[in-house]
Amino acid sequence: MSEEQHIGIPGYLAVFAFLFIATIVTYVVALQDLDGMFFPGTNTLVALAIAFVKMTAVVLFFMHVRWQSRLIWLAVVSGFFWMAIMFAYTMQDYLTRSVIGF
Amino acid sequence: MAQHDNHDDHSHPPGLQHQFDDMGQQMDSVTIGMWTFLAQEIMFFGGLFTAYLVFRSRYPMAFAAGSNILDAFWGWLNTLVLIVSSLTMALSVYYAQKGNRNLQVIMIVLTMVFGSVFLGVKAIEYTDKYTHGHIPVDGWNMVVPEGEHGEDHSESATLTLPFETRVEAAEAGKDPHPNPRGEFQISDKEVELVTLAQEEGFLTETEKVGYFNNRGEFDRDKFTDKVQIFFWIYFVMTGLHALHMIVGLGIMLWLLYKAWKFTFSAEYYSPVEISGLYWHFVDIVWIFLFPLLYLLGRHFLAGGH
Repeated sequence: MSEEQHIGIPGYLAVFAFLFIATIVTYVVALQDLDGMFFPGTNTLVALAIAFVKMTAVVLFFMHVRWQSRLIWLAVVSGFFWMAIMFAYTMQDYLTRSVIGF
Repeated sequence: MAQHDNHDDHSHPPGLQHQFDDMGQQMDSVTIGMWTFLAQEIMFFGGLFTAYLVFRSRYPMAFAAGSNILDAFWGWLNTLVLIVSSLTMALSVYYAQKGNRNLQVIMIVLTMVFGSVFLGVKAIEYTDKYTHGHIPVDGWNMVVPEGEHGEDHSESATLTLPFETRVEAAEAGKDPHPNPRGEFQISDKEVELVTLAQEEGFLTETEKVGYFNNRGEFDRDKFTDKVQIFFWIYFVMTGLHALHMIVGLGIMLWLLYKAWKFTFSAEYYSPVEISGLYWHFVDIVWIFLFPLLYLLGRHFLAGGH
């Protein structure tokens, strides 16, 4: 079990400041034509990368997983791992089909 | 822990259930239990994200068109509101651990206030979708009779509220869309977007089959169907998320009652911690929903493509 107050008020405020700035960055970046600058899909990849980092910050610090036992880590990681399996197996089907409409 | 030093080993800390050896074991048990529940929630929302993934990979331009109908400002504001509520939730756990009842109560109330603001903004957005014919079920949108907008509404301007809302809708929508049967509909702006994309050669083969008829002409109805899929996903995902927010507010209400009665202390705060896990999880879902639903293809318009 984790001990005491974790990162304290300054720590919580720092995480909050990071989330706040990242939200603004998400919005500003979405208005830039990164798809044209790099390759199609860059805009989405950048948006998802920022969301993933934000999620990690919330899980580690607000949800206190950083201070939890290995068992909790396993539960957290396996949750996302199984979702990744669901995405992967669904898309390996749909992305390898020819043109279909629904 | 200091206040229990004078007791012997047989005294139970307040809040320790009899099946656990000590508070540490109890805390570990409830935490793993909650995370197991959250793993299930990940799969719950994961199914919807999978549906999103499948349809967006099929019809990216229809999704971009649908996303541009949404007002990104509201989505952005709601993201900030939820992040602030996550902070106040984390602080209420902090003050529960400190045994500071007053600040804990204040933080729970603030969390509820921001949660309510989120739902209020959501209600504004849903109302806007209703008045503009963007609810993906035909007949569920506001009925705008043909020919009742434009210049002829002046003589009946003294009439009652239903008429006023109709006029407001027509004015807010700039180009008044007659919608006599309350159907799902898109505007010419979205059609412009997809014809532009075709000229630039952005459309995939699947999209050409999906948006154009057999003679290779753009079919507005077929395209509208694909935008409708986006709005189905939008309403189901944000609706389920809003439902989680409402449940969260109920939990907060219970937590407020318990905190008000001095239930939580440095020894016993697991209900606050566990409720916090739930609240943060709902926040995380929105962190992904915001860019995935609101920000698609924004650069087409901003960049003046």
